[in-house]
Amino acid sequence: MTTAAWESVDASAVETARSLGASPTRAFCDVVAPQIYPAVVLGTVLTFVFTFGTFPIVLALGGFELATVEVFVYRLVRDLEYAEAAALALVELGISLALLYAYLRYEARHTVAAEGIRPLPRRPLRPPSLSVRELAPRVGLALYVVVALAVFVAPIASMVYASLTGPTGPTLAHYEFLLERQVSGASFQVQPWDAVRNSLLFAGAALAVALPMGVVVAVLTTRRYRGRKVLDAVAMAPLAVSGIVVGLGLLRGLVFGVEVGGTRVAVGGALAIVAAHAVAGYPFVVRTVAPGLAGLDRSLVESARALGASRARVLADIELPLVWPAVVAGAAFAVAISIGEFSATVVLASGTSQFTMPIAIERFIGRRLGPATAMGVVLLVVTSASFLVIDHLGGETDAF
Amino acid sequence: MPSERGPPAVELEGVTKRYGGTTAVDDVSLAVEKGEFFTLVGPSGCGKTTTLRLLAGFEAPTEGTVRFGGQDVAGVPPEDRDVGVVFQSYALFPHMTVRENVAYGLNFADPPGGVATERRVADLLDLVDLSGMADRDPDTLSGGQQQRVAMARALAPGPDVLLLDEPMSALDAKLRERLRVQVREIQEELGITTIYVTHDQEEALAVSDRVAVLRAGRPEQVGTPRTVYREPATEFVAEFVGDNNVFTGEVRDVVDGVATVAVGGEQLSIAVADDVAPGDSVTVCVRPERLSLAGEENRLSGPVRSAEFLGGTTRVRVGWGERELLVRTEDPPSGTVCVGFDPCDAHVLPE
Repeated sequence: MTTAAWESVDASAVETARSLGASPTRAFCDVVAPQIYPAVVLGTVLTFVFTFGTFPIVLALGGFELATVEVFVYRLVRDLEYAEAAALALVELGISLALLYAYLRYEARHTVAAEGIRPLPRRPLRPPSLSVRELAPRVGLALYVVVALAVFVAPIASMVYASLTGPTGPTLAHYEFLLERQVSGASFQVQPWDAVRNSLLFAGAALAVALPMGVVVAVLTTRRYRGRKVLDAVAMAPLAVSGIVVGLGLLRGLVFGVEVGGTRVAVGGALAIVAAHAVAGYPFVVRTVAPGLAGLDRSLVESARALGASRARVLADIELPLVWPAVVAGAAFAVAISIGEFSATVVLASGTSQFTMPIAIERFIGRRLGPATAMGVVLLVVTSASFLVIDHLGGETDAF
Repeated sequence: MPSERGPPAVELEGVTKRYGGTTAVDDVSLAVEKGEFFTLVGPSGCGKTTTLRLLAGFEAPTEGTVRFGGQDVAGVPPEDRDVGVVFQSYALFPHMTVRENVAYGLNFADPPGGVATERRVADLLDLVDLSGMADRDPDTLSGGQQQRVAMARALAPGPDVLLLDEPMSALDAKLRERLRVQVREIQEELGITTIYVTHDQEEALAVSDRVAVLRAGRPEQVGTPRTVYREPATEFVAEFVGDNNVFTGEVRDVVDGVATVAVGGEQLSIAVADDVAPGDSVTVCVRPERLSLAGEENRLSGPVRSAEFLGGTTRVRVGWGERELLVRTEDPPSGTVCVGFDPCDAHVLPE
């Protein structure tokens, strides 16, 4: 997000500041920084909200003293203390939504219109000379890359490594265990293939809901009218609401059933899982598609309308083809969110037949670390493969 | 030119458009006849583009009525209004070829005259001299070519009214002059009612049947280019359309339709209408090209303050007391000069 904001800063504004006597640092503080603050704040808020609602990692790593609100909610749900869970969930929801609303108010006041701008020049990674001035920023960048690698790449690498090593050196035993479990496991045990299949089915179904929903919300949020900010907040809310809360809500509302005109309407666990995944995924579709739509020249839409196209036709013929890469990216996000979703699924899944890959991993972690890492690698491969498929399909559709 | 009697092709009656506290269009009533080339001209923020958007149906008026061929079009969406629109940015669909762009409107309406879609597209590309460009992508075309594709696209479904929103503002001066002639030729050939928005008063005078000069959301004057130039109705029109010298003075006496007007200690002879009487305060304007160094009447003298060489003529600013006179001459003068004008070349603004 910060990168996108930075790219939309007009180079001539910086050059003007420089020609007026500002040093590079001063020009950055006075011209660039104010324009990227909203993006930095958004990034910060999202990071906070995500961490606030992080559940699986804390469940896996932390003991009781590290337990977050989320974990408490989960415990209460497990112990069938629904009322207390709901109360705690409300507290969490309140804090997250308040933060998000505060951000949206801030953004509304700080959005800088960027039209016809010339982006800032990029500097080459290789220093043109060996002066401190040229080297210092690059050394900083290198340090950042090292930290990023340690936090993001190292866990994945170590997982792949662990899945291929046993007590006696390199081995495929963990994968063999998965196969064995699939072939001969009892029905109450986790079936690896079923988990993969469930994950893909849920992801596909969640995508089918989240994509159209996200596109429609994106269209609505990019037009100007009264109450647009409220809609924007509602569209962002699922980002702030953790999976546990969504799961709890769906459990109480849909799975246990609601009284509608005297009859109890209940929805199966699988449908509730799809709903939870779709709700978790569509904000990402909105957030990738909306900027693209907002960046389109309004007169493209108006020209098409004047030529006789209805609003829906314009969306199909003009707007979506032009922001198609963003739609594909949104779809990839929605699928990734669904495949990786743990919190809501673990609340809603009513048996091994509805277990997804992340839940299978969690079940394995308790007793057998090896198979858990192997399952983790399977998850990684399946997710990467779905990205490739989405990218491929997206590319083909683009060519019509 | 109006070709037949009947309801005006386009009519605004008491139309007002407010955004929050600002009034963009203020109680405008205009009627455009069938086949007319009608131009809305004015400085930025005068409401001309908003007026066009109200006609296209992109905006709804806060008050008042818009009629097409006598029919109230309130609530009719743009796609059902039979208008063709060309924007300043052209708004060509970048993911479609020139041919697909021009054919797009034919998805929703049969080509006029019952010809096939391909035939219609070819005819229109021919009309705008782009026959060889059908399979090109819009971004490979020059600005002028893109503008012509946008024209062809807007005309393809055979709209009743063509709306042009500053279609040439993004082009360089030479191209603009050539294209405006072409736009006018196409408009005359098709006889299509055209409403043209521009901030360029010269462009407005050059192409239009009639012009409405807008200021702060209101038409100051509506008339033929000749009338608007020669007989401006207000001081704003006098100064906005072309260069002008405008000054206010008091009528001392009137003899045989010629008034003696006292301006800044000078007595000027000005041809006036019958209703001007001694003691009246009048606003007089004289075009710079009517002031000449050789003029024998109303001779005014002062120092040359600046001379802009414009090629064919030179625009000279001459100090005249506290005022300044604009003079157009062929030879750039210097030092102190004496200019004069014929009493009949001055125009007195109506009260």
